[in-house]
Amino acid sequence: MKTPDDEAVNTPADGEAMIVAEDVAKWFGHFQALKGISTTVRRGEVVVIVGPSGSGKSTFIRTINRLERHDRGRIVVDGIELTDDIRNIERIRSEIGMVFQSFNLFPHLTVVDNITLAPRNARRWPKPKAEQKAAQLLERVGIPEQARKYPAQLSGGQQQRVAIARALAMEPKIMLFDEPTSALDPEMIKEVLDVMKELAGSGMTMVVITHEIGFAKEAGDRVLFFDGGLIVEEAPPDVFFSDPKSERGKLFLSQIL
Amino acid sequence: MSGSGSLPGDLERTPIPATEEPVVQVAPTRPPLTPGEWVRRNLFSSWFNGVLTIVSGTLVLFFGFRLLRFVFVSADWSVLRANLRVYMVGRFPQEELWRVWAVAYFLAVLVGLSRGFLIPPHRTRRGSYLRVVLAVLALGALFYLVKSLLVWLLLAIAVALYAGGVAAGRRLGRRLVRPVLVAWLFAFPVVVLVLSLGDVGASRWGGMLLNVIVAVAVIALSFPLGILLALGRRSSLPAVSWFCVGFIELIRGVPLLTLLIFGRFVLILLVPPGLTFAQVVRAILMFTLFSSAYVAEIVRGGLQGVPEGQYEAAKALGLSTTRTMALVALPQALRSTIPPMIGHFISVFKDTSLLAALSFSDLLFTARRASQAFEFVGRQAEALLPAAFLFWVIAFSMSRWSQRVETRLGVGER
Repeated sequence: MKTPDDEAVNTPADGEAMIVAEDVAKWFGHFQALKGISTTVRRGEVVVIVGPSGSGKSTFIRTINRLERHDRGRIVVDGIELTDDIRNIERIRSEIGMVFQSFNLFPHLTVVDNITLAPRNARRWPKPKAEQKAAQLLERVGIPEQARKYPAQLSGGQQQRVAIARALAMEPKIMLFDEPTSALDPEMIKEVLDVMKELAGSGMTMVVITHEIGFAKEAGDRVLFFDGGLIVEEAPPDVFFSDPKSERGKLFLSQIL
Repeated sequence: MSGSGSLPGDLERTPIPATEEPVVQVAPTRPPLTPGEWVRRNLFSSWFNGVLTIVSGTLVLFFGFRLLRFVFVSADWSVLRANLRVYMVGRFPQEELWRVWAVAYFLAVLVGLSRGFLIPPHRTRRGSYLRVVLAVLALGALFYLVKSLLVWLLLAIAVALYAGGVAAGRRLGRRLVRPVLVAWLFAFPVVVLVLSLGDVGASRWGGMLLNVIVAVAVIALSFPLGILLALGRRSSLPAVSWFCVGFIELIRGVPLLTLLIFGRFVLILLVPPGLTFAQVVRAILMFTLFSSAYVAEIVRGGLQGVPEGQYEAAKALGLSTTRTMALVALPQALRSTIPPMIGHFISVFKDTSLLAALSFSDLLFTARRASQAFEFVGRQAEALLPAAFLFWVIAFSMSRWSQRVETRLGVGER
C-alpha cells in the first residue's frame, strides 16, 4: 500500500505531535477498512474527518485509543506507542477522551456517578474531589442541575453533553468525537456543538468525525477527507468545503450540501 | 430528582418534554365505573365473553365451594394440630427449641429494621384490604392450632420485635443501611451456629426449618459461584472458559436427584479418608453445584444483553477489564436478570423437597410420615395440604419480594 502523497499540507506547527499515525492499516476478515493512514495531529489542533460511510474514518479514530487493534503501521500517542501491552493501552486510554454517536452513558448510574466513575476507580481520586470536578464540568457543559438524574431522564442533547463531561473528567489531553451529533434531533445539535466549540477554543487537541460544516469551518484547523480506507484529501476547512481538489471530494460535498 | 430546567441558562430556556417526566409515572385517573357498567364491560362485552364468564364462574364457584367446605367443615385438622411442631422443626429436641426462637427473634428484628428504612409508610393502600383478610385468616388458624399459652406469648414477642424493628427503622432511616447490611451478611453463619451448637447438630434439623436453611445456604452460595462461572465462561483464557463450559454442561445434564444421591453415597469415596461431612452439608454442596450452573446461564444471558457500547465506553475511559465487568456490565446484567433469577431461586426452594426422597426429615417427609401414622388413617389430605400450603406461602413471598426489588431498582432504567 502506498502512502497518500498529501503530506505537503502543513499543519499548524505550534505544538509537538500528540498523535502520530504511520501507514496504519486494518482488516476485518477479508475486508480492508484502512489501507495505510499517515497523519500527525499536533497539540491544540482540531482535526475534522469527513467522508462517506464505510470510508474507514470511524475505524481510524477507534484505532487511536485501541478500541480497534491496527494490523500494520505505527500509532504513537503523546510519545507512547500503542502495542499489545495492556498497561500502555490503559494509560493511553485514560489520556484520551472519547465521545460516541450513541452517547453510551451508563444507564444504571446517575449523571454525577457516570462522570466520577472513571476518576474514582482508574485514577483513585477521593469521592469529594471527583464530585467537585463533576460539578465544574456539568457547569461547563451547561447542565449543572441534572447531576442527580439518570441518563434516561435527559434529552439526547443533554445526554451527549454529559458524555462529554464524563470524558473530560479524566483530564484527557486528546478528545475523540465519533459523529457526536448524528443521533440527535436537529434542535439539540447546536447545544452540543457549542460545547465542542468552547472546548476547541480552550486549546484541547481534538479529532472530530462530523458532517457539520459550520462547526468544521469555525473550529477546525484541518480537514481530512476519507474514502475507501485512505486519506484522499487534506486541506484547511475553508479550502476543502469551497473548492475540493479531488473528484471524490467534489462528489461527496455535492451529496451532503 | 428535582429542579429540572429550574436554573436560568441559554440552553435551558427551551425545556425538552422528555426531561419533565417524573421518575414514576402515574396513569391518569379515569372516572370510576358503576358496578353494573364494570360487569358489562369486563365480563359480558361480547357473547363469547359472556359464555366464558358463565362457564368459568360456575367452575370457580363449584370448586371454591367444595374447597371451602372441606377446609372449614369436613376436614379434621387434628393431625396438623398434633404435628405442628414437627412440621416446623422436625425432630429438633424440645429442650433446645429456644435456639429456634432466638433465631426467629433475631430475624424478626432484622427484617423489621430493613423494612422500616426500605419501604416508606403509606405506600400500599390497595394491598391493605387483602392484608387484613390474610391476617384475620392466619390468626383464626393459629387460634385453632395453637393451644399452648407459652407459644402464644413467644409469638407475640416475635410480632412485637418485628413491629419495633419497623418503627426503629423508620425513625433512624438511612443511618441504618450499613449496620443492617453487615448484620445480614453475618446473619446466616450466626443462625447456623446458634442452631447447631449444644446438643443439636445439623442432623437434627427437620421440617420447614431444614428446607429453609438448605434453600438459603444454596442461594447464598450458588449466586456468587454462578456469577464467577458466567464470567469464566466469557474469559479469554481458554483453560478457564473450557473448564466453566464443561462444568456447566456436565451439571445441567444430570438430574438433580441423581446429583443428590451421588452426594449421599458416592462423594464419600472421592474425598480423602477421614474427611467427613454431615449429610446435610453434602446435600447443600450438591444443590449448590446444580444451582450455580443455572445461575451462570442466567447471568450469561444478562451479560449478553449489555450493549457493546457500554464496554467500549468503559474501556475508552481507561477502566480495566475487571472494573468494567464489576462496575458497568454486571450491575446492568444482574438487574435485568432479576425475574429469571428469582424464578430460579424459587425452584431451588421447592426442590429442597427432594430431601424427602433421601430420607431427610424435611417438611414433605414429615407430612408424609404424619399422614401414615396409625391414629390419623384416612387423613392424608389434612396432613399433606398444609405442607403444600407452607411451600406456597414462602415461594409466593419470594415472588412478591422480587417484584418490590425490581420496582426499586428499576428507577432510571430504560
